[in-house]
Amino acid sequence: MTIDQSVRVLVVDDERAIRKTLRAALSSRGYAIFEAATGAEALEKSASSHPDVIILDLGLPDISGIEVIREIRTRTKTPVIILSVRDDIADKVEALDAGADDYLTKPFGITELVARIKAVMRRLLPASQEEVFRAGALSIDVARHEVSLKGRRIELTPTEFDILRLLVLNAGKVVTHRHILIEVWNKPDDMEGALHLLRVTISNLRGKIEADPDRPIHILTEPGIGYRLRAGD
Amino acid sequence: MRGKKVFPYAASVALVLIATLLGELVKRRLEPTNIAMLYLLAVVIAAVRWGKGPAVATAIIGVLSFDFFLVPPYFTLTVADVQYVFTFAGLLAAGLVVGTLASRMREQAIQARKREEQTAALYRLAADLADSAGFEAVLQAIRKNVREIVSCGVAIYLPADGALEIASHDPGFPASEGEKTIARWAYENGSMAGGSADEATGRRTRYLPLKTPQGAIGVLGLCLRKGAEILDPDEEGLLNAVVSQAAVAIQRATLAEQSRHIELMRQTEKLQSALLSSISHDLRTPLVSITGALTALQENDPGLDDATRQELLENASAEADRLNRLVGNLLDLTRMEAGTLRISKQPCDLRDVLGASLEQLRERIGDRAVRISIPRDFPEIPMDFSFMMKAFHNLIDNAVKFSPPDSAIDIGARVQRDAAAIEIRDRGAGIPEGDLARIFERFYRAEKTQGVAGTGLGLSISKGIVEAHGGRIAARNNEDSGATFVVTLPLRERQDPA
Repeated sequence: MTIDQSVRVLVVDDERAIRKTLRAALSSRGYAIFEAATGAEALEKSASSHPDVIILDLGLPDISGIEVIREIRTRTKTPVIILSVRDDIADKVEALDAGADDYLTKPFGITELVARIKAVMRRLLPASQEEVFRAGALSIDVARHEVSLKGRRIELTPTEFDILRLLVLNAGKVVTHRHILIEVWNKPDDMEGALHLLRVTISNLRGKIEADPDRPIHILTEPGIGYRLRAGD
Repeated sequence: MRGKKVFPYAASVALVLIATLLGELVKRRLEPTNIAMLYLLAVVIAAVRWGKGPAVATAIIGVLSFDFFLVPPYFTLTVADVQYVFTFAGLLAAGLVVGTLASRMREQAIQARKREEQTAALYRLAADLADSAGFEAVLQAIRKNVREIVSCGVAIYLPADGALEIASHDPGFPASEGEKTIARWAYENGSMAGGSADEATGRRTRYLPLKTPQGAIGVLGLCLRKGAEILDPDEEGLLNAVVSQAAVAIQRATLAEQSRHIELMRQTEKLQSALLSSISHDLRTPLVSITGALTALQENDPGLDDATRQELLENASAEADRLNRLVGNLLDLTRMEAGTLRISKQPCDLRDVLGASLEQLRERIGDRAVRISIPRDFPEIPMDFSFMMKAFHNLIDNAVKFSPPDSAIDIGARVQRDAAAIEIRDRGAGIPEGDLARIFERFYRAEKTQGVAGTGLGLSISKGIVEAHGGRIAARNNEDSGATFVVTLPLRERQDPA
């Protein structure tokens, strides 16, 4: 772990057991932990304790998690990872639209949580276009527009490359359908048609960069939400 | 009412008048005996159109007019030639006989039409009742048909919790305490009862007990308009036939409702006891491993080597996953039971959905060969990505569980008219024929699966999800080895609300 000692994590959850577990598991990896049990407390600590990352449970006793995100976003760009129970896709989408960076479905492994924290914090680093994304046999050089699989150069259409670049810049993080439609096609109005186009393009992209396009290991689908490029090596 | 009775006679007189005028025109050229035919024609017309009375009247007035106007000496009833007396008698007799016959024919035609109408009405009622699914629909059908027959407001009283109450009624049907008392009287005494006319509207109510061989099961209330309170014997007969048909239909619907209710209770009870035994067993089993591992590690026993510690931890972690899946399955099942499973369909790439299911099962599948053959141009299917991913997850998991670790699993898809058929095929031992129909039932596990971990929930959840999509799921044994599960999903949205 090459995590800077000073990474400060605010854990917001009304369950004491969850806060305790996260504190124990994350402290041992060098994170500084702050806790909040309510939305009001979360808003207060998000200002006073200067967290680098906020882990936020959506089901809080006082104000809704979505409200907390909106409030936080009026003041700061601190990355927010939502903790939610499964199946509430609408809530997740709403939270992501409100400004959350990623989500984790309960129950989750600590390794997974740490990976997400690292992924969302990369957003704050200066855009490293120089960096080459590598995962297994796949390597993507965003600056040079070069993609190769097992050392062999792969030709992508401009749209395929635009989507892949967006995924690489957000590697390890969920990228919502809306986000892709706005960034790549710049028209979020014709959602139905654009979504179809997006599915087809993702399918083609997988055909080119996945060893087995039927069982993708790089571009993962987040049902009802978007896509995620599995973090590199 | 009076006009109706007078008109035929006035018309008869008119017919005689016309016959006489025609006779006047031809009397110079024809024998009066022949002119008598005109009067006979008038009698026949009167008989066919208006019945016996007017026919007889026409015959009598006809004979008199004939004598007075057309038989010499004119304008007197005296007759010069005696032979005309025979003509009169003949005309009168023929008029009476023809009139009677023709009017009887008319009566029969009217009767036949009435019978036909009644048969049609009863048939309509029977057809409507046959089409009615459920108790409410039966009551609606009865009200509609009775209203068509007597064209008035209808109410159905049925006993509820020991007291007779209105179960279904047309808008505006009088429902005062007084009316209810009359209805109850009809019910208790098993005979018709009538209310008094309403002062404002002049409407009058009638209550007919709905009789079955087992006694009255309710009361049919009719609200008759002023002046329509007396039904003719035909209407009365039809009404009685309708009432007895209605009584039987209501009785049958009540029994069906009761048996459905009992069946539901029985099912619920069975489900609850199965749920309880499943929860107590399946929720505790993973907890045994988790608690065991934790306490063993807590004691910090120096006898535990690193490899054993690692094994304990891995096992506890796997069991925690299993517990999580079980809770998820129970949650889905509860939602299906409660009918709150919210399916939101979007066009989906089938390959993507299957890929996501396989990704979730990555560890369980390990190195096993899973071969997917879906045509490149396979159409998108409207489905709920998350739920169908879960449905396929359960089916693939099932295939993994019940086939040898080194055997392949094949997934294929093809278009069948308006549907997509997705097949998941394993090379295991297959499913005993006797179990094929039952494997999708909740908590059902085939005989020989006892050694394999599972709750008997996965397949029933897959079935619930597929059916919520308007699709079907089926299992069959392969000719060589193993079983194939086929999921059929509609490719086009049905017209019904999503």
